[in-house]
Amino acid sequence: MGAYILRRLFMVLFVGVGITFITFLIAQVIPIDPAAAALGENAREEQIQEFRQRYGLDKPILVQYALYLQRLLQLDLGRSLRTGRPVAEDLKEFFPATLELALAAFLVAVLLGLAAGVWAALRQNRLPDLLVRLMALLLGSTPVFFLAILLLDLLHRRLGLLPGPGRLDPFLIPPPPVTGLTTLDALLARDWGAFQDALAHLLLPAFVLGSASAALLARMTRAAMLEVLSQDYVRTAWAKGLSERQVVLRHALKNAALPVLTLLGSLMGGLLSGAVLTETIFSWPGLGRYVTQSATSLDFPAVMGVTLLVGLVYSFLNLLVDLLYALLDPRIRYA
Amino acid sequence: MRRGLLALAMLFSLAWAQDRTQVLVYGGDWTDLITLDPQVVYEFTGVMIADNLYETLVRFEGNDLATLRPGLAESWKVERGTTDWILTFKLRKGSRFSTGREVTAKDVVFSFERALALKGPGSFLFTEISQLKPGATKALDPYTVEVRIPKTASPQSFLSILTFTIGGGVDSEEAQKNAKGGDFGKDFLTNNSAGSGPYRLVRWDRGNQVILEANPYARVKPKVPRVVLRYIQEPAVLRTALESGEIDIAEGLTPEGLRAIAANPRFKVVRAETLRLQYLGMNVKPGSPFANPKVREAVRFAVNQDELIQGLLQGNATKIQTFIPKGLLGYNPATPYKYDPARAKKLLAEAGYPQGLEFELLTSTGICGGGVPCPDVAAKLQADMAKAGLKAKIRAIANAEVLATYRAQNHQMVLAGWSPDFPDPDGNATPWADYAARSLAWRNGYNDEVAAKLARQAALEADPEKRKALYKVLTEKVLREGPYVVLYQPAQPIGLSAKVEGFLKNPMMSVPLWQVSKQP
Repeated sequence: MGAYILRRLFMVLFVGVGITFITFLIAQVIPIDPAAAALGENAREEQIQEFRQRYGLDKPILVQYALYLQRLLQLDLGRSLRTGRPVAEDLKEFFPATLELALAAFLVAVLLGLAAGVWAALRQNRLPDLLVRLMALLLGSTPVFFLAILLLDLLHRRLGLLPGPGRLDPFLIPPPPVTGLTTLDALLARDWGAFQDALAHLLLPAFVLGSASAALLARMTRAAMLEVLSQDYVRTAWAKGLSERQVVLRHALKNAALPVLTLLGSLMGGLLSGAVLTETIFSWPGLGRYVTQSATSLDFPAVMGVTLLVGLVYSFLNLLVDLLYALLDPRIRYA
Repeated sequence: MRRGLLALAMLFSLAWAQDRTQVLVYGGDWTDLITLDPQVVYEFTGVMIADNLYETLVRFEGNDLATLRPGLAESWKVERGTTDWILTFKLRKGSRFSTGREVTAKDVVFSFERALALKGPGSFLFTEISQLKPGATKALDPYTVEVRIPKTASPQSFLSILTFTIGGGVDSEEAQKNAKGGDFGKDFLTNNSAGSGPYRLVRWDRGNQVILEANPYARVKPKVPRVVLRYIQEPAVLRTALESGEIDIAEGLTPEGLRAIAANPRFKVVRAETLRLQYLGMNVKPGSPFANPKVREAVRFAVNQDELIQGLLQGNATKIQTFIPKGLLGYNPATPYKYDPARAKKLLAEAGYPQGLEFELLTSTGICGGGVPCPDVAAKLQADMAKAGLKAKIRAIANAEVLATYRAQNHQMVLAGWSPDFPDPDGNATPWADYAARSLAWRNGYNDEVAAKLARQAALEADPEKRKALYKVLTEKVLREGPYVVLYQPAQPIGLSAKVEGFLKNPMMSVPLWQVSKQP
């Protein structure tokens, strides 16, 4: 098992090199000069030359790439062309917001998706099933920006039930930043007012971001459950006179979990790589917004940093899912 | 269900029990913010905020960019030395930094030297425009600063530049205490403030918010002690946030959003004047059709400025045809060109294009002055010019690519914008008229020695009346012969709660937040 994990971690290295190489290649295909993009319309020729030299943009592409890899070995992601700060520091500042939102959205997706999927499967072709399928279709096909603006307008502007964009009421004093997760920071500071407010600010974006995943998950769970429910051992469980709860939780759900788990891994990965639209509409300072701004200003060190981070997150989530397989299904062994 | 929602609402309304008149919330797209170091900052948002954290020797008040007023300096004088201009500033006593230390001449000298050493994107204002050298700023005594700049530089331009954050007074002890590896405290001042302005920086959560609080030692006390700048990029969300009272000021609303806000008595719209010009640049290098002055004249008669401003821009712009924007000395209100497609057609025929002329009009896919998408402006121009036989093919590409093409002189006609780097007519005259400055005149291949000489002469003229006269000649000349068609000078409408008083954004994008008050 230990050797397997080590081998998988080693593979991550190659993934990293692959990601950076492809991003570097893309940087070459785009016919725009990053120096001109960073300095704007009033920049003088000398300023542009100076900028190119400072960031090594005047060197041949392969030399630039070799230098990048060399720095990467020392865990240095380079400096952002746009903010002038080390990319690692920018990531440290923007990732926690994405993490907080992704975790909340994941929770929404799992709670809603799993419950709805199981319920629909148990009442196949009856009203609950039809309702769940209709909702899944609706939520799964509503564009995120439409849903976000609709809910903001209704629940915030018209009804005043939930707070507007951002992570905390601007009239509150924010808790001192420790983890970067506002809810957690508020708890650490024992500031209950800020905690409630941060949680309230999290509800809408988490729902909007998680709803499409919930829809997908509901349909997946429903299908997996239907298949398991028709198996002999489930019929035997019913025949033994077990309660519905015991049949579903102990016998059916555990066996339906494998395909669902695969989906969960990639869903979490997707949520963690930054949700551009949700973050933009809810003014959520996360990776998605950071990377779009970096990409539009051709800030390749920053884009590469984010891509690398997201690549690593995916690799680890995949590893985690594979390890969980072995836990759920004793027939699976890794050596 | 109903009861649940109500409980939810009550739970979250606890946090709303604050005194909201003591906090001002300003929403907008602040994503250009990368530093708050006064000597390094050169982005709109950064300059706007730093201006509230640091004081400069001299300053402008409100929309008036022609009258210098006392800042850290209570008086100043300009003398003609043998080789240099000698500027002497008397500091007022009792100005204090947010650290509690008094502002002295030593701090001013440190700040100027700091600007020269850090070589930020705005440092050319000191090094090139003012030709300021290290060691040229001296503390004669704790309250007197002397600055020498060469005779070839303009003392007027230099004084205008000193209103800008680059000359902001930094607490030299605080900066040096936090310096790392000879960076003059640059890393520290990116996220922290050490100025004598009305506010001090409390917190900057990138992408989320910037929080300012009253500087307890400041000479000028702000009316609202706490300001929160909220990052909101999406215009629809910005409007929702303003309407729900979550923010007090909204910058970046769409024209529809502004119309709705203006019609609601709970809100008002303030128009911020700018010094920006939206213009067409024509490449006049040999071989180009625009090298022929008659073709350029035809283009000037083929642009329907009035319809562009009233229709597309909803009146959020000033009509202007000369290159010094309204608000600066030397502004020339002449608008001799009226939309006249028949006359344009005739000029085109005289120039040798009786069948009309086909050319490429380069434009950014982004937003032009006045908040209108550039491709929309280009399409309007295309339609108007087509009636005169000027057949523009629009090529809309990313803004950075437009700039690269323009800089390489590879355009035929370009739709572009320009804002002066400092509030002085020379901030436009040199780039627009002097080929040797390798700016706009150069990009468009406009090499006119007379125009360049006039620009240089006007920059150095100390007498405002004579200077004005020189600029009149120059703007007139470039209007008739130059490679530009100036389209409009946009204004920026900003939506605010009717409870907010005293809000102003001046044409240099400076917002004196300390003058803003909020009614309950």
